Amino acid sequence: MSKLAAATPSPLRAVWLKWRFHINVLLLLVPLGFMPKYFADAALFRGDSGIGERVAGEVQVGPWSLTLAEFRNEGPRPDPAGPMKFFNAALCAACADQVKATYLRIGKPRSLRAAGVIFFGTPYRMGALLPVPERTPANAELWVTMEGWDGTMHQGSISLSQASPATIAWLNKQGVKP
Amino acid sequence: MSKKSRSKLWFLVHGWLALPIWFFVLIVCVTGTLAVVSQEIVWLANPEIRASKPSDDAEPLSYDQVISAIKRAEPQVIVQSIVRPDESHFALSVDLSYPDGRSVEVYVNPYTGAIQGISPAFDFKQFTRALHGWWLVPFSNGFSWGWYLVSALGLPLLASLITGLVVYKRFWKGFLRPTLRVRHGARIFWGDFHRLSGIWSIWFIAVISITGTWFLIQAILGDNQISISSEPIVPVIARENVPMSAPGVPAPMIALDDAIEIASQRIPGLETSFVFLPLNAYSHLQIGGRGWYPLMYQTAQINPYTGEVAVSHLLSNRSTLEFVTESMRPLHTGDFGGLWIKLIWAFFGLVLSMMVLSGLLIWTKRTALSTLHALKRSHKAPRPAASIPAMQAETSEGNR
Repeated sequence: MSKLAAATPSPLRAVWLKWRFHINVLLLLVPLGFMPKYFADAALFRGDSGIGERVAGEVQVGPWSLTLAEFRNEGPRPDPAGPMKFFNAALCAACADQVKATYLRIGKPRSLRAAGVIFFGTPYRMGALLPVPERTPANAELWVTMEGWDGTMHQGSISLSQASPATIAWLNKQGVKP
Repeated sequence: MSKKSRSKLWFLVHGWLALPIWFFVLIVCVTGTLAVVSQEIVWLANPEIRASKPSDDAEPLSYDQVISAIKRAEPQVIVQSIVRPDESHFALSVDLSYPDGRSVEVYVNPYTGAIQGISPAFDFKQFTRALHGWWLVPFSNGFSWGWYLVSALGLPLLASLITGLVVYKRFWKGFLRPTLRVRHGARIFWGDFHRLSGIWSIWFIAVISITGTWFLIQAILGDNQISISSEPIVPVIARENVPMSAPGVPAPMIALDDAIEIASQRIPGLETSFVFLPLNAYSHLQIGGRGWYPLMYQTAQINPYTGEVAVSHLLSNRSTLEFVTESMRPLHTGDFGGLWIKLIWAFFGLVLSMMVLSGLLIWTKRTALSTLHALKRSHKAPRPAASIPAMQAETSEGNR
């Protein structure tokens, strides 16, 4: 205001002086803009919009099966332990009581001890955080291992390109690191 | 620098701290106030969240009884967690997994076990907290930038408190002689209001700004993978420790109430107000609650097949630093001592919101006046000593 007295202000400057402290009202556009995303995420977390943003399909695992879904339809997210991709799954209605544990891994596991990451959650909705190395080949297979309460083990697979096209796009973008 | 010009400077700093972002600060204060009592607001609006007693002598059900009642009503659902709210007029908050893939919070009557309602898709409590806490900016990689934006306000708030006390000469006299002049025009009224509410809110502004700044530090630590937690990493239950059973027959787990009983015997003083059921066949059952120090929780991870306490995280395990840092969130939210503390926090939150508004009103009214004076003078004389009137108007406040 001190400068205001020094010279008769131009109209533009007068507008600036009048409104400069109120420009921050525009910060309200941030939550307004993110609101649709906020509610879409809330529905995703509750499961109102299904077990994930994109259902990849059924994976037959011996006598059992599960529905595999990408929690988010996107490539792996960075993590201190390397890039991670979150998958969700639901067991088939008949196998919910049969399956003790379900595991997920890129490439075929040699044994139950190396079956990959374990799914957490209920048979209706469970999730696993899968490490995706940047060198993963684009034709890789995603292997699901299921363990019965008596220790029996079954395996099944789905191509990574079918399970998550976004991950394939991400791998192609990474290229081969030196 | 002379004493007078130094107080002028402090005064300008005090004004400039919040003025350019006054609306943002105001909305953060208002949403924070709402967030403190959000659970109570939902309680008023939605009868399903109330814990009504079927009869005067009704006793709350045990955790196992609650699960049985839910299973009777909905045989297909799977109970994931049960939380007993601190205030007994709230229904139990139970997370249920439905066969259609939904995983939702439901309100369960603590005396009858009846599912009174499913939490609505629009969760007022979560929404106000998200708006206040991170301005709805999503967390995609580490902390959201909205979190940084809001928590960074802790610093100007703390600086406002300090500069406010510096420019308010002998502010302690305001406690003895409270002044709120209502008949001297808006400018005087809002000035008195700002000072009066300011001195009575010193403790609250200090608490909110320091804990708010902690949220900023927490994000910086978190995004740089720096941990100060003494919480043990819980290994999964070893393969050989999960019993084998017949095909299609899940290995039998001990009763939840027995597990709580065993843990309470092993860990004296462990109160259970929440239980998280195992997340898979190799995961532990987690129970926990507040200990003697109401601002922190104690937890125990229990093997659901044997009842053995695998890991516990108690008050006695915490470092002194953790006592400070873990107290920050409850101190910020006022959630550590029931309804009355929340109401006190909400009241002072409202006062703080009003301080933002009154500060703005003072500044704009004074600026408008001094601009008017300055303009008048510039019409009379071509080159007045322009900065003097405005500054005098400002420092008259400080020297009052």
